[in-house]
Formats: sequence, structure tokens, C-alpha cells
Amino acid sequence: MPLGTYKEAVSARSTDSKILDVSQDGGIVSALLCYAIDEGIIEGAVVAGTPDDDWRPIPTVVTSSDEVIAAAGTKYSMSPTLSALKDAVRQNGLEKVGVVATPCQVQGLRKAKAYPFTRFVTEKVNLIIGIYCMENFPMASLDTFATSKLGFDSLTEASKMDIGKGKFWLTKDGEDKGLAIKETHGYEQAGCNVCQDYVAEWADVSTGSVGSPDGWSTVLVRTDDGESVFKAAVDAGLIETKPMDDVKPGLPLLEKLAKGKKDKNTAERERRAKMGVRIPTIY
Amino acid sequence: MTDRVVISPTTRQEGHAELVMEVDDAGIVTKGMYFSITPVRGLEKMVLDKAPETAPVLCQRICGVCPIPHTLASAEAMDMALGIEIPKAGKLLRKATLAAHNINSAAIHHFLVATDFVPEDKFVTAVDSVSEIRKNVQYVVDMIAGEGIHPSDIRVGGMARNITPFTKDRLVERMTALRPKLEAHIELIKNCVAESAEKLGIPEDLGVVNQPLMAVDPLYGSNDFDMDKFSEVLPETWYDDPEIGKRGCSVIPLWEGQNVETGPRARMEKYQGFKGKGVIAQHVARADEMLKNYDACLEALDAIDPAASARADYDPRGTGELGFGIIEGPRGTNAHMAKVVDGKTAFYSAIVPTIRAYDPCLSCATHVMVVDDEDKSILKNEMVRI
Ligand SMILES: Cc1cc2nc3c(=O)[nH]c(=O)nc-3n(C[C@H](O)[C@H](O)[C@H](O)COP(=O)(O)OP(=O)(O)OC[C@H]3O[C@@H](n4cnc5c(N)ncnc54)[C@H](O)[C@@H]3O)c2cc1C
Ligand code: SF4
Repeated sequence: MPLGTYKEAVSARSTDSKILDVSQDGGIVSALLCYAIDEGIIEGAVVAGTPDDDWRPIPTVVTSSDEVIAAAGTKYSMSPTLSALKDAVRQNGLEKVGVVATPCQVQGLRKAKAYPFTRFVTEKVNLIIGIYCMENFPMASLDTFATSKLGFDSLTEASKMDIGKGKFWLTKDGEDKGLAIKETHGYEQAGCNVCQDYVAEWADVSTGSVGSPDGWSTVLVRTDDGESVFKAAVDAGLIETKPMDDVKPGLPLLEKLAKGKKDKNTAERERRAKMGVRIPTIY
Repeated sequence: MTDRVVISPTTRQEGHAELVMEVDDAGIVTKGMYFSITPVRGLEKMVLDKAPETAPVLCQRICGVCPIPHTLASAEAMDMALGIEIPKAGKLLRKATLAAHNINSAAIHHFLVATDFVPEDKFVTAVDSVSEIRKNVQYVVDMIAGEGIHPSDIRVGGMARNITPFTKDRLVERMTALRPKLEAHIELIKNCVAESAEKLGIPEDLGVVNQPLMAVDPLYGSNDFDMDKFSEVLPETWYDDPEIGKRGCSVIPLWEGQNVETGPRARMEKYQGFKGKGVIAQHVARADEMLKNYDACLEALDAIDPAASARADYDPRGTGELGFGIIEGPRGTNAHMAKVVDGKTAFYSAIVPTIRAYDPCLSCATHVMVVDDEDKSILKNEMVRI
């Protein structure tokens, strides 16, 4: 199954305008975290903020809705998110922690939860929100897209960053400038080309934009923990949903992209393996 | 005719030791030699020519029972060797860490001696309170210092991070709730020790010595150390049996030419007016000291300003002067010394409590001698720092 195991797939959107004003897509990540913090399901979370407003993701421990919302929005560069987990469960004293992570980070986290390598760290993580991910870029690549390819003076001029409709987008003064995805090839992190997981198959809840209309998110509810938080947030009126069958382009596109990633990157794995390069295990 | 009784290795201490006793015809022990046979790890050597930050990371591995005192002594020695004045919040965090750790260590100690002192009907209660105490104080160490066993967040220059206001409240709350349990535990242990001393007929003068006391601070430590008063002798010189002199793995440190007593009883007598000497008194002092550490821990936690910085910026090149980190560990005064030249550790030495305490735990005390493999002659007639 290209989408991994899931209980339910829905198209969804936060009902809170404070979240929708700043969120990347339907604000599902922020809505779930805010709800879970306010209800005491988690005491805080590790997210990727950008404190200097320069698009560099910095792992940040948040313990209030305001802090969650301040860190909303996708930064298309690698955030060493799991490195802040220790800080969250030590000096921040959190006993129940949420984590927002890319599929590769979710894999690492699940593995750390399964093996007793850490002491009183990963067992405190009780909500893993995975975000879909096709590839990720070093900061230098993002700078190059902005300055050499899209004519910005600097990346910091961009007020929004997005990938969609076949392009990498930067927004400046309300105007969107797009760069064809194929122009970004070669600029991604090398590991992303052997990564098999598009939809964070090991998360409690996974979400991304693909499959749903603009401003909405496609949500895959995977585990009992994920289901209970998501359902409760919907029941509380913080998230509105539509069946996937009612939205365009719907689940078939998500399945196609997820399978496409597996196929393409399996071929790359085989190519690298033939050259004798060590490749990561598939889960 | 005298007989020799050898127990090797002895148990119930950290590391490996050997107890050699000479016994006369009447079966009375006339002489006992108790010495470390713990093999060498070489930590004092390993840190040389490395960045000063390496020392606390490696030296905490000197011992798994006292990792906190070793890390603190190492970090304090490096702070001084680099001329760093650590921020107040950093110092308070360190103090809370050590106080919590020392309570933990005393609780473990009680667990280890429980089979000697605690009667069967009280055993479950004693083990339960040991566990409960440890769970809470180790939580404090975890939160502040990163890990309860080998603390990752005690750093040269202070602490990796300050705690948040939320964590401060949580720690104060947990520690406050622990008090009745701790007080009951201390009473229980003291009563058990007194009762079994009577029942077993432990002589009152068992373990009574009249050596000078070594303690530099009632609870934490200091950076004052008078090197001129300090000397070390080889086990060869110390034990009159040459065989044992050769096998012993720890040097004998002397203060003003004498061997001294260190540990909870020494501290409690020197600073808290504690009366009583010998083995039984040591157990009582250790139990009483738990409450002193408890108060110190809460006091430090209370005084911490979570908004303040816990770590100083510093120049890692070093002053070239000898820095001292003297920490009052559970089993006594633990001194680390370091010199940093051009950003690299040029000298490192740890003088550990073990050999001056009643409570030996030996890994930290191990030193080596260089012996010719063929004829067993001693090539380097000094203890090599390890
Ligand atoms: C590198 C990358 C590639 C992506 N590729 C796709 C894709 O191909 N298709 C698709 O549908 N969706 C993709 N996404 C996900 C998408 O961009 C949104 O993050 C997702 O839909 C969540 O939106 P939201 O409105 O629910 O979240 P918001 O409420 O806006 O919150 C986003 C959350 O993600 C965190 N975050 C931001 N950047 C990162 C990062 N680099 N690493 C970890 N966490 C971060 C933020 O701290 C915040 O908590 C990608 C995300 C990233 C980081
Ligand atoms: S493509 Fe895979 S490896 Fe690359 S960032 Fe996304 S999840 Fe991680």
C-alpha cells in the first residue's frame, strides 16, 4: 500500500482564522497541536520555527497555542527536530510531548521508541504528527532558488514558500513566483533520493496538501492515539472535514505520488547499491 | 603460627578489591590489608592534548556510582583552568544537581547495607522508600543535568541550559512532596542500624580512627586547594607486604603527611557538630546528611532564576595555571586538577575519595605502576596517573 496503514482518510481544515492566516495548508498540524496542548493531552511539542524569519528551520519547544501558531508554515529545509526532544523532556520538564516530523524523522523516532537506547526520552512522546515529504533542501539550495533563479535579492524577501502544481513557489509583496520542480532537481538533499516514504507511514496522524483543494489538507489517521486526538478536535469544532471522495483531485493523486516516490527511489537505491554504496534499510 | 585468609574479590563496593587478613592461633585477626585490584582505565591520560570540554565527558566515566561528583569536579577544574566565572544560575543548578545526587547515593548505600541492618519485617518498607527517594531525586538530576547517571548537561562554563519556570515548579513540587517519605526513611535506617548494632554486638570502637578530617565544604565544594599540603605515596611504601604493595592499584594520598578521614561523618563532624565516631556513626551521619542535602537542593531550586543564562561565554585557550575542582561527593572529597595550554589539556589529575573513606568504591582510585613483564621488576617507581 503506497500510503501505509491508516484508519481513515479525510480532507480537512482548521476552523480557526488565526491558524489559517499563517498555516501552510489547512492548518491541521497547528490545530491538532493547539487542541492537544489546551486539553492537556500533551504538555508541549517540538516544532520547526524560524526565529530569525530567514526560513532556516530551528527545532523549537512550544508549550502554548500562541507558540504553536508562531511556528506554523513549512520551511523547506532540514530541521534537526529530534535534537530538541531531549531539551523538551529535560530542562523543559515535559512529560507528554508532541512532535511534528518529516517521514524520515518519524521513522527514526519510532525506532528510538521501539529500542531501549534512550532513557526517559522517547517514551514521553505521545503524539507524532507526520507531514508528507517528497524531498528537502539544504539552505544553500533555497538561497540559490531565490537569488539566482527567481531574481530575489535575498531569500528573506519571501513571505511564503510552497511546493505545488509542479512548481516551487516564493511569494514576495503578494506576488507568487514559481520555479519548475525539474529546475530544483539536483539541489535536494542526496538522501531524499533513496527515501521511500512520502506520507509519514509511521506517524499517528499524517497530513499534507496533496489530494485536497487549496487551503485544505489531506489527513491520514493511522493509530488509536492519532484517531482519538483527531476525532476529539473535530468534535470540538476546531477542524472541519469532507470525505475524500467529495474533493478533487482526491486520494488517487496522493497514491500516485506516494507510489511514484517509492518506484523512482527504489530504482535509485538499486543504482547506488550496484556501485557498492551503502543504502538505508527500508521499513 | 599465623594463618592468612584472603577474600578476593570482595563484594559490596564499586570495583574490585582484595581483603588479606592475618589470623593468629586463637582465630583473631591481627592485621587486615584491604586494597584495590581494579584494573586500569587510563582516563587522566586520555584527556591529555584534547579540548578542555572533553575532560568532563570522559572523566564522568571514572565511576558509575559517582558520575555527578566526577563531572562537577572536572567541569569546575576546567572552569578555573580557563579563568571562567560561571553565572549564578549555573552554580545553583550545579548545587541542586549534586545535592539530589548525594541523596540518591546515600539511598543506594542503604540498599546495599540493608541485608546487614534491616530486619526482615522492615525490609520491604526500606526497599520501597529507597526506590521512592531515588525516583524523585534522580528526576531532579535528569531534568537539570540531562541524565541521572552520566550527566550530559553539566558543561565547562556552567550548564547546557537553564530549566524553564514550569520545570522549576514541577521540581519544587516533587521535592516538597518527598519530605515525609525521606524523614521516615532516615528514622528507619537509623533505628535499624542502632538496633542491629546492639543485637549483633558490634563493638563501639569498630572503625574508630583519630585521623584529621578532610572536607572542604558542608555540602558542595570549593576551588581552594593547597597543593603544598598534599602528597601521594605508593602502595609499596604503604603496605609492609611487598607482594601486596605491588598488586595494590591505588596510591595513598596524604594531607600534611597523614592519611585523613573523609566522607559524610567527616563532613558532618566538621560542619554540623555531629558527634560519634566509627562504623555505626558513619551510617548515622550518612542518613542525617540526606536531610541536609534535601534542604540544600530545595534552597538552590528556589533561588534559580529560570530567565537567567546558565552558561558563560569563555575563551577556551586556557590560562596555563592549575585549576581545581573540589567536590564533596557521597563518599568524600573528590578533587580534580587540570591545566590548559593553547586550548589543549596539558595536565590532568584526579584525587578521589575512595582511599580516604570508610566506604571504598574503587574504580575511581585506580593507578598503575610499570612492571617489567619478564622479571617483574618495577620499571617506573611511581604511580602513573590514569
Ligand atoms: C520539506 C518538506 C516537504 C514537503 N513536501 C510535501 C509534498 O510533497 N506534498 C505535500 O502534500 N506536503 C508536503 N509537505 C507538507 C506541507 O508543506 C505542510 O507542512 C503540511 O501540509 C502541513 O500543513 P498545515 O497547514 O497542516 O501545517 P501548519 O499548521 O502550517 O504547521 C506546519 C508545521 O510543520 C512544522 N515544520 C515546518 N517546516 C518543517 C520542517 N522542515 N521539518 C519539520 N517540521 C516542519 C512547523 O513547525 C509547523 O508545526 C512538505 C513539508 C516539508 C517540511
Ligand atoms: S524525502 Fe525522505 S529523507 Fe528527504 S526529508 Fe523527506 S522524508 Fe526525509
